[in-house]
Amino acid sequence: MNRQDFIARLRAGLRGLPPAAIAEAVADYETHFAEAGAAGRSEDEVAAALGDPDRLARELRAEAGLKRWDAERNPSAAANAVFAVLGLGAIDILVLLPILLWIAGALLGVFIAAVACFAVGAVLMVAGPFVVHAAPIVALVLAGLGLMAGAASLGAVAAIGAIGFTNALVWYGRLHLRLLRPALEPQGTLA
Amino acid sequence: MVEAVQVQLKKGVLELCVLALLSRGDAYGYEIASRLVKGIEMGEGTIYPLMRRMQADSLVDTYLVESASGPSRKYYRLTAAGAARFAAQKTEWTAFSGAVNAILGGAQ
Repeated sequence: MNRQDFIARLRAGLRGLPPAAIAEAVADYETHFAEAGAAGRSEDEVAAALGDPDRLARELRAEAGLKRWDAERNPSAAANAVFAVLGLGAIDILVLLPILLWIAGALLGVFIAAVACFAVGAVLMVAGPFVVHAAPIVALVLAGLGLMAGAASLGAVAAIGAIGFTNALVWYGRLHLRLLRPALEPQGTLA
Repeated sequence: MVEAVQVQLKKGVLELCVLALLSRGDAYGYEIASRLVKGIEMGEGTIYPLMRRMQADSLVDTYLVESASGPSRKYYRLTAAGAARFAAQKTEWTAFSGAVNAILGGAQ
């Protein structure tokens, strides 16, 4: 593998990241090749010493995903961070997947319940007085408002739960990333 | 087994080694990679994701220096937080390795 192959595989692995981040990472390795070349080492030798570009790309992606989750707390950043950590293989997916699916399913259920309650509350408040003649209008409007408020707090609790869950996963992933699998499996100069 | 233990040990102390290297003076990426490879035989490519992580954690910051022989070099410099991390990790490592050495010595 020469410099060109290495950089091409690295680029392919980083696809989807912001262009500036890709350019920075590629520049790091281009500079490394240039410095090594000036020191009289061949491209093949340097590529072998650097390690597997696919794995390096996964590591860099994970770092970018975790950084984004630190900066912005939204569902897309959360999914990004979770998948980046899983992609690293820092967590055994077979162990984690059932737990992950269970928690994600439970959270989704709570969210759907919250949305449904909110909708029922809204309908009750707006349409109730015209449809249900047995109950006083004030009682219907208050019941509708109460349902909506309850749904909103249920949704908030679920959101807090989702954030906490993602944080825990990211923390766990980082721990393993740092201590067990910083960047690549032994190869190149280590062999 | 011995090989796996070696790899885990090296990976664990990589950050400490980079902190130590930078505490003696600023250095650029290739310099860090080649010096660490000489000392503890790590894959050279490992350094760049590690440097990015340390930068994200504000342990180091960077500045560019023009080079006569090639592209401009990105130098890494320890921040105050990085220096504090180094002091703490060094103390921990010294205590830990001292304890391990004492046990190893006693086993002979």
